[in-house]
Amino acid sequence: MPDFEYNGKKVVVDEDGFIQDPDVWNEELANALAQVEGVDQLTDEHWNIVNYLRNYYQQFGIAPMVRKLCKETKTPLKRVYELFPSGPAKGACKVAGLPKPTGCV
Amino acid sequence: MPGANGKQQPRSVRDIGRRSERLAHVAVEELMPLPAPYDVSEDFPGIAPLKDETRARYGASATLDDTLAAGIPQPATEEDERKIVEAFLSGLRKLFSRENNWTFLQPLVLSMEHCARCQTCAADCPVFEASGRNELYRPTFRAEVLRRLYFRHVKPGGAWYNTFHSSGLELTYDLVARLFELAYRCTLCRRCAQSCPIGVDNGLITHDLRKLFSQELGWAPKELHNKGTVQQLTLGSSTGMNKLVVKDNIEFIDEDMSERLGWEVKTPWDVQGADMLVIENAGEFLAWPENHGCTAAILNGAGLSWTMSSEIAGYDGVNYGLFYDDVQLARVATRHFRIAKQLGVKKIVMGECGHEHKALGVIADRVGLDLVPRESLLTLVRDIVYSGAINVDPSRNDFPVTLHDPCNIVRNMGIVQPQRDVLRKICPQFREMTPHGIRNYCCGGGSGFAIMSPNNFEQWRNLISSRKKFAQILGAFADTELNDPEQKKYVCAPCSNCKGAIRDMLDFYGAKEKSGIYYGGLVELVVNAMAGAAEPILDWEMM
Repeated sequence: MPDFEYNGKKVVVDEDGFIQDPDVWNEELANALAQVEGVDQLTDEHWNIVNYLRNYYQQFGIAPMVRKLCKETKTPLKRVYELFPSGPAKGACKVAGLPKPTGCV
Repeated sequence: MPGANGKQQPRSVRDIGRRSERLAHVAVEELMPLPAPYDVSEDFPGIAPLKDETRARYGASATLDDTLAAGIPQPATEEDERKIVEAFLSGLRKLFSRENNWTFLQPLVLSMEHCARCQTCAADCPVFEASGRNELYRPTFRAEVLRRLYFRHVKPGGAWYNTFHSSGLELTYDLVARLFELAYRCTLCRRCAQSCPIGVDNGLITHDLRKLFSQELGWAPKELHNKGTVQQLTLGSSTGMNKLVVKDNIEFIDEDMSERLGWEVKTPWDVQGADMLVIENAGEFLAWPENHGCTAAILNGAGLSWTMSSEIAGYDGVNYGLFYDDVQLARVATRHFRIAKQLGVKKIVMGECGHEHKALGVIADRVGLDLVPRESLLTLVRDIVYSGAINVDPSRNDFPVTLHDPCNIVRNMGIVQPQRDVLRKICPQFREMTPHGIRNYCCGGGSGFAIMSPNNFEQWRNLISSRKKFAQILGAFADTELNDPEQKKYVCAPCSNCKGAIRDMLDFYGAKEKSGIYYGGLVELVVNAMAGAAEPILDWEMM
C-alpha cells in the first residue's frame, strides 16, 4: 500500500488515495486530503458534510446514501459537487476519512 | 515497442513474454476522434503516467500499457517467479478439463481450435477502435496468447506443434503478469463473439483467463473479490450494507418517494408465500435510490404480490463471479435460489442490473439444482405499462430520450423489445442510438470496470473503453442543441453498472455542463410519467 505524506507525517492509503485506518483521521489530515481533491480551504459548508459523513460512518460502518446526505445536510447535490469536485463518494468520503465505497455505486 | 508507424504497440504476440519497459502506449492524438465540442484534445489530456513507486512495486504487471487495473507485486526472487509460472501452467491445464471447467469447456475448446484469423471481430471491438487500433487491444491478440499456450502446453502433441509452428511464445513470468492485466482490458461485451462467422468467443476467452487467475492463483481485483463477492457472501452486500442498514435505507427511500408522489410507497420485507421475490442491485439503494423507489411504486401501483429478502445476499442481485470466477458465481447464485425457495415465491424478478440478468437468468442454469423461474423487470414493467394498471401521461416526459442497451440483457440474452415498447409509449421524443439492440456498444464499464478505479484506470476507461459509447450518445442527440445545457437530454440505461460508467463518462467529458446530457434508469421514466404525481420524479438538480 502506498503512503500519503502531509506536514512531515505519513499515513497508509489505498491505490485510490483513501486512508486505510479510519481511526488515524484528524482535522489536519482532512485538510491535507482536501488539497488532493481540489479543495483549497475547508469551509463550514465543507465541514457540515464531512462531519455528517463521519457520524454516519461511526454509527453504521458505511457511507450514507447520497440522497440522505443531501437531505440531512440540506445541501443540493449540485452544491456537493461544487464543494467536492470529484463528488460525494470519491471526494467528500475521502476527505472524511471513510474507506472507498464498494459495490455498484 | 515502437511499431513501424511510430505507435508504441506489440509487433507480434511473442512480445508479451519479452521483458520491456512498456508493451504499448496510446497517445491522446491516436484516440478515435470525438465530435465538437468534445474534439479539443487540450481539454482532455491523455492518461497520466503511473507513479514511479507503483511501477517499482508492481514490476512486470505494470509494463503492459499506460494503466494498472489490479496489478501483482513483483516477486522478490526468480524462484518466486518460477513458482507462479508453474501455478499458471497448472491452472491452464485445469481450464481444459471437464471436472474443473464444468461451465464453459466446450465453447472454450471450440474457440481455441477454430479461429480462422479473419479479423472480422477486430472491426467490432470498441476498445480496439477507440484506442486508435492499438495492436495490444486487438481482440485476437489476447486470444492468440492463450491459443498458443493451449496448443503447446495442453493439447496432446504440443511438443510437435511447437517444432513446426513458429509460435516461439515463451511462457515467462512477464507473460503471466501481463496476461493477467490484459484480461482486464476487455469489457466482456461479446460484440466480437456475435460478429465471428465461426462462433469463436473472445469474450469467453477473456472470462476464462480471469477465472484461471482467480481460481488457481488467487489473483483478482479487490473490487470484485474481497470487496465484492466475499463481502456479499459474508456481510450481505458488496456495498457493505448489512441487514439493518439496508432496511433503514429502503425505509428512507419509501418515505421520500411517498412524499414526492403524494401517495404511499411501501417495500415489503420477507413476506412468506409472496408471488415474486424482487432482487435488485444494492448499489441502486445508495447511488440511485429513485430506481428502487420507482420499482416499488410500479409494483405497488399494479397491485402485485412481491417481497424483498433481508437474508445475506438476498437484497443484492450483483454476482461479480460472472466477471472473474465461476466458483464465486455458483456460491452467490445458489444463495439467491435458496432464499427464493425458502420464501416459497413463484419467481425471482431481476432488477435493472445487466450482469445480474446474465448470471442469475442464464449461467445459473448450469449451477443450481433447485432452480426457480426468473423474470426480467423490463418485461414485467412492459406488461404493467400496457395492462393499464397504472396511468401514464407521456407529456410529462417530453424531452429527448435515448436508450442504452446493456450488453448482458440485450446482446447476451435477447431482451430487446420490452424496454423499447415502454419508451415508445411514455417518451414522445424517444430516439435510437446507431447501432442499437444486439449491435449496441458497451458503456465501457462492463465486466466490473465501472467499479474499478485504482491508479489511473478510470482515465483509461473514460478515454478508451467508454469512448465509443460516448460518441454514440452524442450521435443520438445530434439533432438537438449539443451546446445548450438547458435543454435536458436523458440517456436511459437500465443497468446499474452501465449507469456508473455513463455517470463517470459524462462527468469526465463535462457533458452535463456542456450539453445538458443526464442519465438514469427505465422505471424512473415510467414513474415520472405517472399521472397525478405531486412532483416529477426526475429531479435534474439531483442528477
